Amino acid sequence: MKKKWIALVLAGAMVMTAFTGCGNKKSDDSATKDDSAATEESSGESTEIVNKEATIEVPEEVTKGGELKIALTSSPKNLDPVKYTGTYEAQIIYQVCDTVVTYDKELKEILPSLATDWIISDDGMEYTFTIRDDVYFQPGEYQDGRLMTAEDVAYNMNRSAKESAMNRLDMLDHAEAIDETHVKATLKAPSAVFLTALTNAGNAIVPKEEVEGWGEEFGNHLVGTGPYAMEKFELDQQTTLKKNEKYFIGEPNLDTVIFKVITDANQEVNALRTGDVDIATQLTGETVKIVAEDETVNLEKMAGIQIGYAYFNMVNGPTADAKVREALIKAVDYKELAAGVYQYGEGEAACLPLPRASWGYDESVEADVPSYDPDGAKKLLEEAGYGDGITLNMYITNETFRQKAATILQSYWQAIGVELKINTVEWGTFSETAASGKADVFAMAWSWYPDPYFFFDKMFATSAIGTLGNGQGYSNPEVDQLLSDALIETDQAKRAEMYKKALKIITDDNPGIFYGNPAECLGINPKVQDFNQRADGTIKLCTAEENVWVVQ
Amino acid sequence: MLKTIVKRILQSIPTLLIVVTFTFILTRMIPGNPALTMLGPQAPKESVEQLEEELGLNKSKGEQYVIYLKQILKGDFGRSYSYNQSVVELIKERIPNTLVITLTSLLIALVLGMIVGIVSAVRQYSILDYIFMVLALIGVSMPIFWLGLMLVLVFSVNLGWLPAMGMGSMAKGVWDVVSHMILPCFCLSTIPMATFARITRSSMLEVVNNDAVKALRARGLREGVVIWKHALKNALPPIVTVLGLQLASAFTGAILTESIFSWPGMGTLIVSAIDNRDYALIQGVVLFTAIVFVVINLIVDIVYTVINPRVSYESGKGGN
Repeated sequence: MKKKWIALVLAGAMVMTAFTGCGNKKSDDSATKDDSAATEESSGESTEIVNKEATIEVPEEVTKGGELKIALTSSPKNLDPVKYTGTYEAQIIYQVCDTVVTYDKELKEILPSLATDWIISDDGMEYTFTIRDDVYFQPGEYQDGRLMTAEDVAYNMNRSAKESAMNRLDMLDHAEAIDETHVKATLKAPSAVFLTALTNAGNAIVPKEEVEGWGEEFGNHLVGTGPYAMEKFELDQQTTLKKNEKYFIGEPNLDTVIFKVITDANQEVNALRTGDVDIATQLTGETVKIVAEDETVNLEKMAGIQIGYAYFNMVNGPTADAKVREALIKAVDYKELAAGVYQYGEGEAACLPLPRASWGYDESVEADVPSYDPDGAKKLLEEAGYGDGITLNMYITNETFRQKAATILQSYWQAIGVELKINTVEWGTFSETAASGKADVFAMAWSWYPDPYFFFDKMFATSAIGTLGNGQGYSNPEVDQLLSDALIETDQAKRAEMYKKALKIITDDNPGIFYGNPAECLGINPKVQDFNQRADGTIKLCTAEENVWVVQ
Repeated sequence: MLKTIVKRILQSIPTLLIVVTFTFILTRMIPGNPALTMLGPQAPKESVEQLEEELGLNKSKGEQYVIYLKQILKGDFGRSYSYNQSVVELIKERIPNTLVITLTSLLIALVLGMIVGIVSAVRQYSILDYIFMVLALIGVSMPIFWLGLMLVLVFSVNLGWLPAMGMGSMAKGVWDVVSHMILPCFCLSTIPMATFARITRSSMLEVVNNDAVKALRARGLREGVVIWKHALKNALPPIVTVLGLQLASAFTGAILTESIFSWPGMGTLIVSAIDNRDYALIQGVVLFTAIVFVVINLIVDIVYTVINPRVSYESGKGGN
C-alpha cells in the first residue's frame, strides 16, 4: 500500500505543478488581452499595464528599528572604494561611507556632506574644503572609532588619484591638509567636474589604518563614517549592515540593512512578492508588469540618466559614409522603435545622445535628426553607391532590450535593402569587439552623472577612441575644442551653452540612433517609508534628505 | 590492491595535465578581455592597460602557460582577481554549501529511485510499473529551470509555505535551514531519482529471472530475502557506476539550481568566474573538478571489486 501512496503523492505533485503553470499563464494572457482591448488605439505595440497601488496603514509616528532587505541582481565583490567597478558595490559603499560632497536627491545640485563648504580659486586650479569636526569613523579592527580629520580627506583623495581602478580622480594633482579642518586640493588643470567626481562612491572617505591594516582584504572589511556599518560580508550571498548610532547627521531609523544577491530576474520579483526582500532593484521587461499588477507591492519608475542607442562605425565599413548613416537613420521610426523596445513602459522614446534630464539637453536640436522616410533612405543609399544593398554586422549583449532593438532595426533596414546580421555575444566579447571598432553597429546603453561631460567626453571625444564609449571612432576637432573648453569653464550656464553647441554638431554628424531613455524601475514593499528613488539608480537610506524606516 | 591504486594514481597524472592544458587554451580562447570586462563600460584606457599588467595578461600566452604550470606544481591555484581571494579559499568556502544540497538530494534520489526501480522490476508490466516509468520519463526530461520557478510560484509566492531563495542560517534555528533546502533539493533530485529508478529496474530485471535466483527460490527462501538480499546485490554494479558519476558531479555543483535559488555553491562560482573572465578561478575550479572525477572513479573501481569479486584488477583479466 505504501508504494501506491508514494505513487499517488508523486503523481499529484506533478499534475499540480503542471496545472498551476498553465493556469498562471492563461490568466496572465487574458488579463493582457482585456487591457489591450480597452486601450487598443493608443497602445500600439506596447503592453498596457494596470498599476495596482498597494497601500498599508502608516502610523503617524516613525517606528525605529527593524530590518530592510534589498535585492541586488549581481554580487558586490571588492568594496574598497578605489577598487570597486560595479554599481552593486556602490550601493553598499554609499550606506557605509560618506563622500566629501554629495548630490541632492534630484541629482541637480551638489550639497555639503563631510565638507561644509568649499572655495574655488579664480584660476579653477585650487579647491579649499572646510571639513566637519564632529564626524567619527565606525570602530574597526585597526582603530576604535576615532575622529575623522582633514588629514583623512587628503589621504583618500591622493589615494584615489593614484590607485583608483577607474581613474575616478585623474584631474587631481595632489591634496593636502592645511590644518585640522581644511584641505586644499590642487588640480592638474582646471576641471569643472571635480566636485561631481567627489560625489562618487569611489571617492568615499575611509580610515588609513584599516586600509593599511587589512591590505588586499580591505575590500571585504569596509569601514567608513556612514549611517550603517558593515557587519558581515558574504560573497554571492548577502551583506549585512548594522546601524551606526554615532552617525553625524542623526540616528538612522533602521537597525539592520541586508543586501541580498538574487541573480535571476524572475526570482528577484518572487522574493519581493513573498516578502523575502523589501526592495527589488533594476527591474526590466515582464517583471515590471508583474510588480505593477501585484496588489501587495508597488512599482516606482523614474526616467534614468541613461540613453539607449545603436552606434555606427565612423571609420570602417559602409557606415563610414555619412550618406549611409543618414539613410539608416531615415529608415527608422524612433517612436515605434522605442515602443517596441520598452514594451512594458520601462523607458521612453528619445532621439539625442544625452538624457533629457541633463542640463546640457537642447530640445531645439531634436529637429536636426533626419525624420522617418524610407523612400528618401533608399535614394540616399543609391547615391552612396549601395543601390544593390549592403550587409552590416551588429553586436549586442544578451539582454532583452538590445535584442528587441536589434530585431526591430533589422526589419526597418531590410525595407531599404540593408541586411543586418545580429551577433548576440556576452559582455566580455561585446566590450572588446565594440571598443576595438570591429562592429559596423553596436547597441548598448550609457549611463552616468547628469553632467554632459560624462556622456560627450566619453562617447564623442577623440581621446576616448579605443574605449567602449567611443569604440566607433567618432572624431570632430570642433567638438573636441568645445568639450575641452567646457571642461575648464566653471560657470554652469556657459558650459551648458558649449555643450548645446556640441550636441548640435554631433547630431548633424549622424553617429547613431539614440532611440531611448530607459527608466529606473524598482519594486518596493509599501511598508518601506521615506524612501526616495534616484534617477541614477543609487539607493541612499539615511542622508540629510531622508531617513528610511519600515512600518512594523 | 595497493599496487593497483598507485598505478591508477600515476595514470591520472597525464589526464590532469591534459585537463590543465586544455582549460588554459580554452579560457584564452573565450573572446573578451578580462580587464575590460572587469572595469566595465566607463573605464578609461589607462586603467585597462594598468590592470592587464597587474594580471600579467600583457605577457605572451606561452609565458603565461609556463608561469601557470609552475604555480600548479607548487600547489598554488592562484588568486581570483574578481573575488580578491585565493582560489583554494573560495573553493573551500563553497564546497560545503554545494555538498549540503547535492548530497541530500542524491541520497533522496538514490533511496526513492532504487525503491521505485525494484518495485517496478518485481511487478513488471503492472499498472504501478507503468506509472513509475512514465513519472521517471517526466522526471528525466523536465527542465530544471522551469521546475524550479514553478515550485517557487506554487510553494513560495502562492502558498507562502517555503522561502523563495537563499540559504538558511543556523542562528535562526534548524527549520530555517531545512525550509531553505526543500525546494532546491526537490528540484535537484528529480533527474537523478528518475535515472536511478530506470537503471535499477533494468538491472534488476536482468537478475530476478536468472537461474541463480530461481535456484534460491527453489531452495525455499522467502521472496523478500531473494529480492532484497541476493538479487539486489547482483544488480548493484551499474547502479554504483551511475552513483559514482552523480557523486562526482555533486561536487561541481548544480549550475541551474544554484542560480535559481541564489545558493552560494560551486555552480554559481563557476558561472561568475566565466562571466568575469576570471582565468585563475576558471582554471582552478575545472582542475578541482577533474581531480574529484579521477578520485571518485578510482573509488568506484575499488568498490566494484568489493561488491563483485569477479572484477579483478590484479590479474589483469577481469570479467568486465
